[in-house]
Amino acid sequence: MAKSEVKNQIRRLRFDNGEMTQQKLADATGVTRQTIIAIESGKYAPSLPLAFRIARTFGVGVEEVFEYGGEE
Amino acid sequence: MNKTQKSAWFGLVAGLLCFAVLGHVFVEIFIWKKLPEGFFGLLAYCLLLGGAFIFFRRKQSASEVESDERDDLIKKRAVIASFVSVWILLAGVTVIPRFVIGIKGSIPVWLLAFINLGVLLGVGLVYSVAVLVQYGWGSKDGEK
Repeated sequence: MAKSEVKNQIRRLRFDNGEMTQQKLADATGVTRQTIIAIESGKYAPSLPLAFRIARTFGVGVEEVFEYGGEE
Repeated sequence: MNKTQKSAWFGLVAGLLCFAVLGHVFVEIFIWKKLPEGFFGLLAYCLLLGGAFIFFRRKQSASEVESDERDDLIKKRAVIASFVSVWILLAGVTVIPRFVIGIKGSIPVWLLAFINLGVLLGVGLVYSVAVLVQYGWGSKDGEK
C-alpha cells in the first residue's frame, strides 16, 4: 500500500504510555497488529472510528494523534 | 502474518499445485490421447487440498482479531483484481485458439471444462497474489 497523507504520533504516544506494545494497542482498538504497524509507518490511513478508538486508548484527542500532511 | 495472508499463501500454493495437476491431465488426455494413470488419485488430491483449505480457515484462537477494516479493504481490492482477470482470461482463451488452430478449426467439447477450470484457478491465483502484493508478500510490512 502507498504511503498515506495522514501523519501520526502513535509511536511516541505508545512510549509515553508505559511503552505500550503494538499488540496491546491492537487488542485495545480491535484490529490486528499488522494494521497498527501499517498505520504507524504511514502506509495505511485508518477510518474515522478507528482513529477515535486509537485516540481514546491514549486518552487524547484525535488531532493529537493524527495530522493531515497533504497539500493545504 | 495474519489469517488473510496465510489463506492467500495457501491459496497460491494450492492453486499452483492444482494448475500443475490440471496441466498434467490436459497433456495426457489431449496430447497423448489416453486417460492418465492415477487420474482419480490426482482428482482426490485436488479435493484433499480444497478440504485442507476449509480446515485452514477455521478460527485458531478466541481472542485473536482475525480481520479488520484494512484486511477488508485489501480483500475488496483483490476481488476487483480477480474480477478484472476473469474478463482478461476469458478474452485470452477466446482469442488464442483462433491463432493456434485457425478460424475454421474445431476443439473437442470436453476442452471447455478444462478452460473453465483453468479460468477458475487463474482467478483464484490472481486473488491470492493481489492479497499478498498488498501485504508486501508477507514481508516485515514496517514491523519495528
